[in-house]
Amino acid sequence: MLRVAGRRAVWALPLLLTIIVVMFCLLRAIPGDPVQAMVGDFPVPPAYRALIEEKYHLNDPLPTQIVTYLGNIVSGDFGYSYQNQRPVIGLILERAPRTILLASASFAIAIPLGLLLGVLAGTARRPLADKLLTTSALIAYAIPTFWLGQLLVIVFALQLGWLPTQGIGPMISRAHGFAWILERLRYLALPALAFAIHEGMRIARISRASVIDTLGQGYIVTARAKGLTRGAIIRRHILRNASLPVVTIAGYAFGHALGGAVLLETVFAWPGVGLLLVDSIRLRDNMTVIGIVIVSAIAVVVMNLVVDVVYALLDPRIRTAR
Amino acid sequence: MPTSCILRPTRRALLAGAALLAMPGLALAQQTPVKGGTVIAALASTTIPNLNTQLTSATPALIVADVWADGLMTYDRDGKRIPRLATSWEISPDGKTYTFHIREGVKWSDGQPFTAGDVAFTLNAFGKFNTYLTKMMPFVESATAPDDKTFVLQLKQPLTATLDLFDKEVFPLMPRHIYEGKDVATHPANRAPVGLGPFKFESWENGRSITFVRNPNYWQAPKPYLDSVIFALVPNNQQALNAMANGEVQWFRPEVVQVPATLQAAKKGNFHVVEIRNNAPETAVVDINLRRAPFDNVKVRQALFHAIDRQRIVKDVYQGLADTAKNAIPVQFTALHDPALSYDTLFAYDPALAGRLLDEAGFPLKDGKRFSLELTTISASPYDAIGQVVQAQWKAIGIEVKLTTLDNQLWVDKVYNKHDFDASIISLTGRSNPVLGVDRSFVCNQGNVPYANPTGYCNPEFDKAAADAASAPLDKQKALYRAYADIVARDLNQLALTNAKAFEAVSNNFMNLDAQFNVAFNTHPNWAEAWLPKDKQ
Repeated sequence: MLRVAGRRAVWALPLLLTIIVVMFCLLRAIPGDPVQAMVGDFPVPPAYRALIEEKYHLNDPLPTQIVTYLGNIVSGDFGYSYQNQRPVIGLILERAPRTILLASASFAIAIPLGLLLGVLAGTARRPLADKLLTTSALIAYAIPTFWLGQLLVIVFALQLGWLPTQGIGPMISRAHGFAWILERLRYLALPALAFAIHEGMRIARISRASVIDTLGQGYIVTARAKGLTRGAIIRRHILRNASLPVVTIAGYAFGHALGGAVLLETVFAWPGVGLLLVDSIRLRDNMTVIGIVIVSAIAVVVMNLVVDVVYALLDPRIRTAR
Repeated sequence: MPTSCILRPTRRALLAGAALLAMPGLALAQQTPVKGGTVIAALASTTIPNLNTQLTSATPALIVADVWADGLMTYDRDGKRIPRLATSWEISPDGKTYTFHIREGVKWSDGQPFTAGDVAFTLNAFGKFNTYLTKMMPFVESATAPDDKTFVLQLKQPLTATLDLFDKEVFPLMPRHIYEGKDVATHPANRAPVGLGPFKFESWENGRSITFVRNPNYWQAPKPYLDSVIFALVPNNQQALNAMANGEVQWFRPEVVQVPATLQAAKKGNFHVVEIRNNAPETAVVDINLRRAPFDNVKVRQALFHAIDRQRIVKDVYQGLADTAKNAIPVQFTALHDPALSYDTLFAYDPALAGRLLDEAGFPLKDGKRFSLELTTISASPYDAIGQVVQAQWKAIGIEVKLTTLDNQLWVDKVYNKHDFDASIISLTGRSNPVLGVDRSFVCNQGNVPYANPTGYCNPEFDKAAADAASAPLDKQKALYRAYADIVARDLNQLALTNAKAFEAVSNNFMNLDAQFNVAFNTHPNWAEAWLPKDKQ
């Protein structure tokens, strides 16, 4: 397994290098003026423009910028955010735990929810029940998360007043211990639910197909012939086998989410990596954009590695093959 | 009689006294203020590069600066100058020497003494970086502090707008002991400021909030009464409205187009909407690219203006919460605006006349079409909505309009850097004097300076008129600004559409709101006046 991890890491290096070069070229190609973004909608005084451009090397030739960046990144320097006036890595590390929390909470709901619906649909005895579940899942999956998020805000925050509209916690809190956790959960509920519904429906569709596929396998017929109950067959044979593609999909989606749930974080003013990315693009804070893209790429690579490990744990055939 | 307006759901009908009496802050204004409590104010921006408004004109930073910074003077809601850190000032008869008498015994938020030396330092160190001072700085001979309580500005030639350039919004004072000898443009204090305002910087949670606490050294003790001001950073104004409606914040500044929805939300929520007296203009305009045919023909520009029903924009886009712009000098500049020159009559909505003008210009209707143009704007409210109205109205006289709505940065690049547009919509803040915000639309701009005349209009006659008006004595300025407006009305590089009102939404829990909202268009509550009863803290 270590060898696989090492091989993956080595493959990831040229990938990251390519990402950095492509990002630099793309960001240079996109029109934008970070100094104007700092000053607002009045003309930038020439003295201020000259000073900022010199300070942050904004006018250095592209190859110089790339070479300098690559040199710095080796020593863990991801550049300096001129719109936040601090090193990019510190900024990402401050935001990342919030994104990880949102992604983890969402997948903690999405995976069991998706598996449950998938198994129910896949093993449904009546075709109508299967169609109903599948269609519902498809409709829910088709709803864009940002729109679903807004609907949840309107219903649960603005109409019913049960939950806050946005943020990660109250601006003033006197809660401690368990009360503090409950308070935070109130803020986490809507964005996590919106994310979980979307991802859960995707998992439901994959797991249903996988369950149906597994049901046709010979060992299921054998299990039935042995007289195992329906519940036992689902638990011992179907669920475990059907969960393999789910691990792939969920792992990839989770890795992607760690790079920032861009739209959801914006809708819920969730100050994670996704919201930082949106602001950084708007303000042409290019070092931060590149830093986030690199972290996202690393997250995807790491999650793929984790998926491989989980795969091997779930399926002895893979362990033996390797 | 107080003149700030409290908008209730019936809106314009209730602007008068009855609504004012319904304002809790007014009804109990005579009670003794008590200390304590916090205001949570929503800011529609989650990343603010810089809090030092010597270096930025971005609205979120300006809103925050009202809390921590102060200046020599400010304006009340009637546009009257109010002394702040300058107790008085004198102007020499030749208009070239300004002497400010500085308030004594004042301390910075870190406890260091404030003197006239700080004022001189602020101008000398930040003047060249301050966007509003670019017109004045070339005229500055010297800025000195002969003693701790006197600041003297010596100009090479008169500039009548000079006093307006020392408004606290435009020229917030900076501490010499923090910045001297350092790189002022990138100094850490720009994000953790030391100031003279009622609150002092406490903390900044990236992407989430900025907290200020009571400044124990505030020069207007015992104010402020509140313990702290927290700015909740939210991605946009709709979320600020949601937070207000749900009681998560106690103040936000709605966009004009949001006001009806905010009033609707106020029906159920514990807040109301205040109209800020508009002593400075926010004017929506169409810039026309004179570099391109047929827009270099003034008859075409006149036709385009006649073809726009500006009342329709007021009604449909601004829900009636704006007025049509009257001429180049906005009506808010009461001492400079001449109502005899009015676009309402000069360029009244008249599609038939617009058609005739285009015929005369050599663009008769052929197969229902005269020519095509690209109208570009930022993809945001209210610009996109204005764009759609203008598109429809120009189409009605046979002009095929391609409406391009873009990300802010892409739009800036297209219009101001590449000049790749036929017509462009934007709304510009005029601030308190033509020198500060109006001149930039008409004065020759040969370079690629964003938010400054992108039309290619370069008229030495106009530039001289603007310079003459800016340096004339106060009693001569009105006639000169009339000449200025006449040239613009004749040459029409820009079509002025509307002049929007400004609003803020605030919780009913606060007391003394009438004094708190005695602010000018460009200022916001500094929260030094408002207080919270003990049971609301």
